[in-house]
Amino acid sequence: MIDIAFVKPALPRHGALVLPIGEGAEALSGLAQAIDAASGGAVTRVLAAAGFKGRKGQSCTLWAPALADGVAGPSRIVAIGLGKEITPEAAEAAGGALHALVQAEREAVVAAEALSAPVAAALGLGLLLRSYRFDRYRTTEKEEDKPKLERLAIATDAGSAAKAAWAPLRAIADGVFISRDLVSEPPNILNPPEMAERCRALESLGLTVEIIGPKEMKKLGFGAFLGVAQGSAQEPRMVVLQWNGASKGKKPGQKPVAFIGKGVTFDTGGISIKPAAGMEDMKWDMAGAGTVIGLMAALAGRKAKVDAVGIVGLVENMPGGNAQRPGDVVTTASGQTVEVINTDAEGRLVLADVLHYCQTRFAPRFMVDLATLTGAIIIALGHEHAGLFSNDDELAGRLMAAGKAVGEACWRMPLGDAYDKQLKSEIADMKNVGGRPGGSITAAQFIQRFIDTKAGPMPWAHLDIAGVAWSSKDLPTAPKGATAFGVRLLDRLVAEHYEG
Amino acid sequence: MLTVKLRRASREDARAPLALPLSDAAAVPAALRAAAEAAGFAGAAGQTVLLPERGVMLLGTGAARRPLDWEEAGGHAAAAAGEVRRFGIDARGLPPVAAASLAAGACLRAWRFNRYRGKPTPGPHRLDLIVDDPEAVVPLWDRASAGVRGCLLARDLSMEPGNALTTRAFTARLEALAEYGIAVDVLGRKRLAREGLGGLLAVGGGSENPPRLAVLRWRGSVAAPPLVFIGKGICFDTGGISIKGAAGMEAMKADMAGAAACAGAMLALALRRSPAPAIAILALAENAVGPASYRPGDVLRMGSGRTVEVIDTDAEGRLVLADALHYAQRFQPGAVLDLATLTGSIVTALGAHRAGLFGTDERLLAQAQAAGEAVGELLWPMPIGARHREDLASAIADLKQCASGTRQPDACHAAAFLREFAGGLPWAHLDIAGVDDRAEAVALGPRGPSGFGARLLDALVAMYFEH
Repeated sequence: MIDIAFVKPALPRHGALVLPIGEGAEALSGLAQAIDAASGGAVTRVLAAAGFKGRKGQSCTLWAPALADGVAGPSRIVAIGLGKEITPEAAEAAGGALHALVQAEREAVVAAEALSAPVAAALGLGLLLRSYRFDRYRTTEKEEDKPKLERLAIATDAGSAAKAAWAPLRAIADGVFISRDLVSEPPNILNPPEMAERCRALESLGLTVEIIGPKEMKKLGFGAFLGVAQGSAQEPRMVVLQWNGASKGKKPGQKPVAFIGKGVTFDTGGISIKPAAGMEDMKWDMAGAGTVIGLMAALAGRKAKVDAVGIVGLVENMPGGNAQRPGDVVTTASGQTVEVINTDAEGRLVLADVLHYCQTRFAPRFMVDLATLTGAIIIALGHEHAGLFSNDDELAGRLMAAGKAVGEACWRMPLGDAYDKQLKSEIADMKNVGGRPGGSITAAQFIQRFIDTKAGPMPWAHLDIAGVAWSSKDLPTAPKGATAFGVRLLDRLVAEHYEG
Repeated sequence: MLTVKLRRASREDARAPLALPLSDAAAVPAALRAAAEAAGFAGAAGQTVLLPERGVMLLGTGAARRPLDWEEAGGHAAAAAGEVRRFGIDARGLPPVAAASLAAGACLRAWRFNRYRGKPTPGPHRLDLIVDDPEAVVPLWDRASAGVRGCLLARDLSMEPGNALTTRAFTARLEALAEYGIAVDVLGRKRLAREGLGGLLAVGGGSENPPRLAVLRWRGSVAAPPLVFIGKGICFDTGGISIKGAAGMEAMKADMAGAAACAGAMLALALRRSPAPAIAILALAENAVGPASYRPGDVLRMGSGRTVEVIDTDAEGRLVLADALHYAQRFQPGAVLDLATLTGSIVTALGAHRAGLFGTDERLLAQAQAAGEAVGELLWPMPIGARHREDLASAIADLKQCASGTRQPDACHAAAFLREFAGGLPWAHLDIAGVDDRAEAVALGPRGPSGFGARLLDALVAMYFEH
């Protein structure tokens, strides 16, 4: 991971010098002015010749300008546009774009004297998030093909303020990387027991980690969850991660907030097997769990003042000799029975038991579940928004706002009795699918049946992230591949409303 | 439509049951209480019990409050009346608006389409609406029945088979609306060519039945920019060269339901002499497979001058709508709404219970949604994101008509496409592909075409554009 440091302004003698410039900025100042003077006005001339105006998305590179008196200087100077309004969001996007421009250098210095501490920190975050790379399984890649950037030094006079702004962002970036690593891992490596062990490793952050195996699940009555698991040679796991940042050492005063993730480490579809084309994508059918784990690491890493529970249901959906069949009836932990019509609608079966467990054990303030649940949500919304379903307008509103703030957008989708009726079964309390029409909505209706509101309100939201967990093209702050969608959104949700 | 008679007193007729709207078990008249109790009647909305020996039907209304609640109660009464030719609803003691709504609901539920049957399906023909003061109910009934007639016209048109309701036959039906004071102008091939409406001409090119653009105009009585309704009127959609699978293709006779709804709305406005000026522009074509069919890869020059690369000839609706949207600009509308059975994607997204609502104007979107709530035609807002527009980038033309490949958010892509032709006007797009036809009967209609949109547009005008 690239080291992001905050340093006193001084002209670098090697590497890259980065000049972040707003649109319509006055004359250069600070390090930018210093390098311009030392190069005999080369910077000003080149920027003018290139038509660089500081617009969003604009950049301009000068290669090794000769400096007065022959002193050594940076091997490249990169001007990058921040646009008219210099906000953290704009800086984050500029930081993301910056990575490709400086990655061939070992070190880059950013002339950030004119930037506020949050803007400077956001620029660092953007670059760091965009630099993510999963190269564990590359053995023959040539050294010169690898990115070299090791350190981004942000030169600012407001060092302590910037460091303070940076500390939580660094923890969030760690959480994002943990999530992306998990999602990127191949399914023969990252099976449910292995994924549970990776959770165990997060105890070092101060998280309490409990791992629950099939024997205990059986005792808990997890008939739906175990039905999904029974076709695979890999044992299922449920992992309960707890961060007690509000009640540390004291008795908990507030009920915890709870996040639940679907973690199907590989989804063949089971007996209702998927077509071969593109099935390799199904390694990321555990992205909901990946997000919850990354989020819990972020909360612990930044010592969030909140009591939070993260529970992930980890299982592999395989068509083994003992696999469950279409037509099977399973009994969930809540006692409700489900007729399995399609074994490829397995995520909701896992969530049904895990959500029931979570509510029964923790009686949380709210539950948010994340799941790569349906192909239908991709056909509904595409890859820009996650589908948001909720029984609580306040929670839904907060999630929408948090998503907007961090660039992980949600779109509210409807729930209602008319959709719920599509789940009617001839033999059990419900079917596990409701047909093609409104496929994501009926999936959410299914999950909602396991949110118990008989004893009082239980705010709940479901994020269908099937369209956003993995990107087929580069995004401003994520290279193509695993996005870790939801880590930042939920961290922001907690920070805005549930701390202190 | 049911013949509705407003009366002060009911006729004694054992073959014509009289429905008694009742909010709970306690409201049941003493003489009927034992029977009600035995039948488990609690007055819940939608509950009905026929007591034929007394010539009475117990009609549960629950806590009916909105006109829509009363309409649904009326619908349940019509459904429970079964095969009798005549029945009554006792609306005495109820507010006039409730009485009118009960009758409206009954008419919507009792609609049948018998044109092609030797022997009509049995069912009610006549409703006696018993009220305290017919004079007080008449104006409300005139208003409500206008919307009902509009809706039923839309259903009739949608039900017609593709060999009967050709583009020419459709325009003939529209021209008949002149009787109600609607001015009708139909553009044939020559005028379409003169206007350069290359999208509509291309889509209609494969068929023996020529494309048409029908413009229906209701002048209203106030000087205001007109509201424009745009309807997709694909009289039959084979998919064209990108031909559809055979299974279920017969349903494609109703791919003109958007245009039918707009025509129905115009009839409603005219029948109730709405003061608001409105125009409907209906893009009519048959998407057929023929020697002159347009092809995937073709580049079309649209009415607006923009060029479009055709990817899939079965995404034809957006092409004809785009030209209609462009044509609408000349009327300098206050707002434009288009209705179309546009995408399978919206069915996957929202199912059969809500239509997709897209657009550029928050106020118009909120108004459309509220109008839909009022008449029980529900909408749900859907996004047009930057990425949706990016996905339409073409290597040869100004934009692609849709994205290539499977599992695409095609409803959003279609909306992003249409937005390019809305000319910056307040615009809303209703993708009604999931709601134009009902697989099962509901309170306000039997299974079959729903007429979705006609009553919504009528309510929209009444609620927001007449003051």
